[in-house]
Amino acid sequence: MRRIYILIAIVGGLVLNACDKDDFLDQPLRGRQQLDDYFSTAENSELFVNSIYSQVNGESWYQIEFFRQICEMSTDDNWAGNTEQPRPDITGIAAYNVFPGSSYINSFWEFTYIGITRANIALERIPEVEMDEDLKSRLLAEARFLRAWYYFDLVRNFGGVPIVTTYTELLEPEIRDVTRSSEDEVYDYVESELELAIPDLPLKSEYAANDLGRATRGAAQTLLAKAYLYREKWPEARDMAAQVIQSGQYQLEPNFADIHSVNNHHGVESIFEVEMITNFQFTDIGGTISTTSGSRTDQGWGWCVPSSDLENAFLEEGDEVRLRSTIIKHGEPVFGDPEVESFDAAPTRNKSGRINRKAYIPIADRESPYMIGQHALPVIRFRLADVILIHAEAAYFSGNEQAALESLRQIRERVSLDTDMSLSGVELRDAIWKERRLELALEQQRLYDLRRQRVNGMPRIASILGPNGSFVEYNTEESTDPFETTNLGEAQNKGALFDPSVHMLWPIPPEEIQLSRGNITQNPGY
Amino acid sequence: MKIISKLILFLLFSNSVLYAQKEVTGTIKDEAGTLLPGVNISEKGTSNGTVSDFDGNFTISVEENAVLVFSYLGFQAQEIEVSGKSVLNVVMANDQEALSEVVVIGYGAIERDKISSSVSTVEGEELTKVTASNPAESLQGKAAGVQVLSGGGNPGASPQILVRGITSNNGTQPLIVLDGVPLAQGTSLNFLNPNDIKNFQILKDASASAIYGSRASNGVVLITTKRGAAGKPTINFDFSQGFQRLEKINVANADEYIQVMNLRRTNDGSAPIYDQADYNTSTDWWDETIENFAPVTNLNLRASGGSENIKYAASVSYFKQESNYSKGFYEKVTARFNTDFQISDKISIKQDINPRVESYGNTPNVLYNVLRIDPLTPVYLPQDERTGNIFSIYEGSNNQVPNPVGSIARLFNETKFFGLMSNTQFNYEIIDGLNFNSQLGLNINHARQDVFNPTFFTTPNEQRQINNVTRRVDENFNYVWNNTINYTQDFGKHYLNVLGGVLFDSQTYNYVSAYREELPSDENPDLRYIDAAAGEGVSVGGNEAVETIFSGIFRGIYTYDDRYFFTGTIRADESSKFAEGNRLGVFPSVSVAWDVDSEEFFNVDFINNLRFKAGYGQIGNQNIDRNGQFFSIGTGNYVFGGSRVVSNYLSQFGNPALQWETVEDKNVGLTMAIFDNALDFSVEYYEKTSQDLLFNVELPNYTGIPGLVAQNVGSFESKGWDIQVGYNKTWGDFDMDLNMNVSTNQSKAVALAPGNEQLFGQNREDLGNRFIKITELGRTVGLFYGFETDGIFQNQTEINAHSSENGQLIQPDAQPGDLKFVDTNNDGVLNDDDLTTIGNPFPDFYGGFTANMSYKDFDFSMQWYGSFGNDVFNYPRTFMNAGTQDVNIAAGTLGRVWTPENPSAEFPRLTLNDRNGNYQRPSSLFIEDASYLRLRNVQFGYNLDIKGFQKFRVYVSGQNLFTITDYSGFDPEVSAGGDIINDFGIDYARYPVSKTYLVGLNLTL
Repeated sequence: MRRIYILIAIVGGLVLNACDKDDFLDQPLRGRQQLDDYFSTAENSELFVNSIYSQVNGESWYQIEFFRQICEMSTDDNWAGNTEQPRPDITGIAAYNVFPGSSYINSFWEFTYIGITRANIALERIPEVEMDEDLKSRLLAEARFLRAWYYFDLVRNFGGVPIVTTYTELLEPEIRDVTRSSEDEVYDYVESELELAIPDLPLKSEYAANDLGRATRGAAQTLLAKAYLYREKWPEARDMAAQVIQSGQYQLEPNFADIHSVNNHHGVESIFEVEMITNFQFTDIGGTISTTSGSRTDQGWGWCVPSSDLENAFLEEGDEVRLRSTIIKHGEPVFGDPEVESFDAAPTRNKSGRINRKAYIPIADRESPYMIGQHALPVIRFRLADVILIHAEAAYFSGNEQAALESLRQIRERVSLDTDMSLSGVELRDAIWKERRLELALEQQRLYDLRRQRVNGMPRIASILGPNGSFVEYNTEESTDPFETTNLGEAQNKGALFDPSVHMLWPIPPEEIQLSRGNITQNPGY
Repeated sequence: MKIISKLILFLLFSNSVLYAQKEVTGTIKDEAGTLLPGVNISEKGTSNGTVSDFDGNFTISVEENAVLVFSYLGFQAQEIEVSGKSVLNVVMANDQEALSEVVVIGYGAIERDKISSSVSTVEGEELTKVTASNPAESLQGKAAGVQVLSGGGNPGASPQILVRGITSNNGTQPLIVLDGVPLAQGTSLNFLNPNDIKNFQILKDASASAIYGSRASNGVVLITTKRGAAGKPTINFDFSQGFQRLEKINVANADEYIQVMNLRRTNDGSAPIYDQADYNTSTDWWDETIENFAPVTNLNLRASGGSENIKYAASVSYFKQESNYSKGFYEKVTARFNTDFQISDKISIKQDINPRVESYGNTPNVLYNVLRIDPLTPVYLPQDERTGNIFSIYEGSNNQVPNPVGSIARLFNETKFFGLMSNTQFNYEIIDGLNFNSQLGLNINHARQDVFNPTFFTTPNEQRQINNVTRRVDENFNYVWNNTINYTQDFGKHYLNVLGGVLFDSQTYNYVSAYREELPSDENPDLRYIDAAAGEGVSVGGNEAVETIFSGIFRGIYTYDDRYFFTGTIRADESSKFAEGNRLGVFPSVSVAWDVDSEEFFNVDFINNLRFKAGYGQIGNQNIDRNGQFFSIGTGNYVFGGSRVVSNYLSQFGNPALQWETVEDKNVGLTMAIFDNALDFSVEYYEKTSQDLLFNVELPNYTGIPGLVAQNVGSFESKGWDIQVGYNKTWGDFDMDLNMNVSTNQSKAVALAPGNEQLFGQNREDLGNRFIKITELGRTVGLFYGFETDGIFQNQTEINAHSSENGQLIQPDAQPGDLKFVDTNNDGVLNDDDLTTIGNPFPDFYGGFTANMSYKDFDFSMQWYGSFGNDVFNYPRTFMNAGTQDVNIAAGTLGRVWTPENPSAEFPRLTLNDRNGNYQRPSSLFIEDASYLRLRNVQFGYNLDIKGFQKFRVYVSGQNLFTITDYSGFDPEVSAGGDIINDFGIDYARYPVSKTYLVGLNLTL
């Protein structure tokens, strides 16, 4: 009988256990919060918005930022530079032998859209959170600004792109059938979003010190002014730039050399910057460009080095102040770094024997150990000088030469250059364009400026690059630069392959064309 | 069980036999002359009986005119009249039909005869002929319909088993059931000692496997371990020692390298890069990194025996395999104690314990770099330039490929497993034929991984400024609790076997990991622990995950007169992986068989066995990320106002609508044995169709959705033939056993959901960030995808001729010597619309051939395995004859690339800029037929006649000694990856399968 009892006990246990079947089968996700419970507090809403910022520069050097450097290399200001590593996906693109599959193009596309989706989630979920209404509208406006930033960054590189504006549509099967919107549609969207965000965004001075770096009204207005500029909406660009200039929130850094400095975070001129700090616990919140563009003898990788053509532009203008804070030359001392008397730019491994001073950190200011992902050099995305030059250019094209001259004068005055106040017509236009090149050199503006600025309807880049481009002719025929003409590891005719019918836009990543089953079409010529 | 019950009866009653009148003795052998222990001898019509002893001898007291019945599993029963004789020497004849004996079929066991579904058996003895860390490796070529895909030659690498093609993309590994306990998906069989395995049963069709329901769609492999038998103890000792050798891959020396690198530039009109005069070294990186002989050792000791009430089988084994690099190993010690207790005539208990320790590590993965690094670079810095630590003495290469000798030196990554499996089976016979069985399987796995990364400096791109150490500890606990009631009874010609049960399965995964930087020393191994680290860089992690399945099963088996067979099963599973409402899956099956030879009308003499069978069933698949239904939040960082702030984002995009994948399976077959069972033959045809196929979909990047999303995307169909032929014959002292199996399979996509009409895999950055695998409606799954090439342009005329209707050049950037790509869609433009399928990684057929022969004390065996008609994407071809970067090339490249003087070359011209994209697009240039036939194993043994030993066998054997193939890569048997559709058939120059030479010893006491 005892055995029977055992059996009954076992079977009984079984049945009891079976009653708890749902407990047995309900296995929640452990160790992670879930989206549906997440948006419950103001604090969480803020933490979520923080993540949208992460894609402005990317969380790692290759995600976003390096593609911007490749864009810099694709101009007359820079060489790809590193002649030690043969990289068709970098050097090839800089030479306009464009490899559409470059993972840098691909990640730029991918991570920018990740930023957009984060913004879409925030904009859809935060309105339902019970919280202080002012904070809520600020967070929503931050998300809106950042989403506009991302679409702007896409449209200027790829032309029209797919526009996804909500989170809900990602759950629908139709999301697989989205196609590219037109360039105008994307720009219109950017403009209308910024117009919505501007009134809800605080001024820079309204933020607490520990919130510096968040989107400001000035940042959104600058982005809008730039979007107008790119579309040649001159009066709108002029007026929007003027609003930023007159807001009283910003002033030119008295000393040009202080603009890009580990000791000047959120400085007086800075409108929107990605702040970088040294924190050895994390690698996604420190700078990377000082390494990727550093000399190969100075812990750097040697990519994206300034050209002698750029140096000549400063020399022609007698612009010593900005030259020394823009270019470091092999064998010369480094301005602002008393510890370096003769810089080693490794000319056998560096096409031009020159290094970007704006990305350079003086020895005394370096973290220890000095390494990628730890540099405390902020990445300034917008600064006042850019806005003043937008104003100058937009005012010129709106027919207001006096206002243009006045803005030009302000910029030149800081670096002790006189301004010929009698300039007019194309001379004034060319002076403004040149000023833009010198002031903002190596700040990832040049490519877009050359693409949009036109002479007789022809983009300037087509006269600088291409088989008969002025930059190509200079390098292949005139240049006597001791470094560039001797290090042929990067071909001297860089840019000769530029073709204006193809290269005004970058290729859509082939992966995206495949994943969309061809719904996303390639740009012509690729 | 019959033997045991007879034994019990015998022991209970033998002493009470009072009227014994005559003693009969004798010896029992099989046809080959082997002594047979354990044969049942009974006096017909009485309860009197005995069994033969270990040497095949027996003694029994019987009446003068008794009839003795000799019976033994696998042999034809014999009746012999005593007729006054006192010595009876008996030869037992093999019984092919009865060889089927009792086989496990999932939650029970049954005579093979009564099974109507598709089951393949591989005996353990066959497996131990190959010395391998993983028993699955030795399954290769052994059973029709079972493909074993090598995990590569890495010590401790686990192969993948593929049963009858692909119906699913997620987890194509079959469910492994060890002595009734289902193992967690992806469990490597490394933990098993091949010598402990009695046999493998592979349940191939749904009618066999549906009893395992939601986890059965990729087939089920049942493993039964050896158990003790009553009688004198048997002690076995096996030992083998050998070494493994890699075939050298010849790359260019310094002279050829310089010529090629310079030509790449001068062909483009650029200046040459190297001056021959500057370089006087030519480093042979293969010799610097690869060891000629990597030892492999295998030791195994086992004992088994017992009494009628307690039986045991115990073993310990040791295995060690070293890698062909200067570092890297796999080592394991396993033990197993299987015990059987007959508590009473109604209650029996089995208790198995299987502890183990495994460790592996430090096997570098540098073959790629060994091939790519330039030969101009010396291995070490000159003495006077060495300023850093011992990890900084390596020269940075001229072509920026990391120095492989340095990579090996600073590799410190070891994993240790500690595992314990316990399997308890309680059986209670309620009444005759009605049994209650409760089984509790516990599996505890503890894994500890230690990684140390020293500081070093080679180049700015190849350096580490702060050293670090990581320890990760995983602790997994799985339990299975199976409760079944089984009723078996014969009613005259009717046989009935009914089973019902309730099952619980739970798997819990835990881990903690810690990482910290700044150890005080790079060189002192005693300081490579977290406690010694002092840096700010700290990272810790820890989490838990649980998966559960609750199931009910039912099975009915009915047979009539051993002529007609019927099996029906049904299983209901509920899985925690799916959201409430989608959890339940019900999986039914039926199968029938007809034994034609048992019909009275059937009187074809030379046919001993002829059987037809057919089955239908539904099975499921739940192999998808257990968290696939959830939308989860991740954590990152950002900086505001000079300080770090936390950021949160959506890290996984879930799918709450996720549900079971169901596979519908049809199977028909025939088995036949002829000529006194010497020749046996079986053929089966099957069709499997999956519904609601689970797939991790990569959505377009414009969705901004991170990672992959689990979705039910459509339907795959897999069909094919399995054919097996065996020949078994004895001529005097010569014994021969041949076995061949051939299988075909084709798996294609028959439905794909909107938006997922094309499923992609294997994005290759250097081939233009394109996917090189595609699955499309109506086509074979996972085909290679790329541009079709049409030879090499010989001159400008050919380039000009390759133009659109309006004269536009299709390849305007091409020069003579460049590849001609086909404008597939004839639109006059070469772009991604011209991508097409360029190869099929799946073989037309594959199979194995095994021959075992023996003559007196000599034995010989060999195994062949082959795969025919399959393509391989030879990835090293993207750089081995030029490519986009300045990496080293195969020796003889200069003779293989196009030049005006070498117009028939296979490879395009040398160019650095590669404006034509010869090496920047996936294309048929990289696809090769990789059919091969490989001598998997050959063994020659001799049994010495040494007193005291039942067996004293010495042998020599060789594995993978040669391969017949036209494939130009290193190894046509390319490793399978984790994801079968997308990884299969791509040669990434992983550690190739090596040749192994062994000597060994088998002793039986």
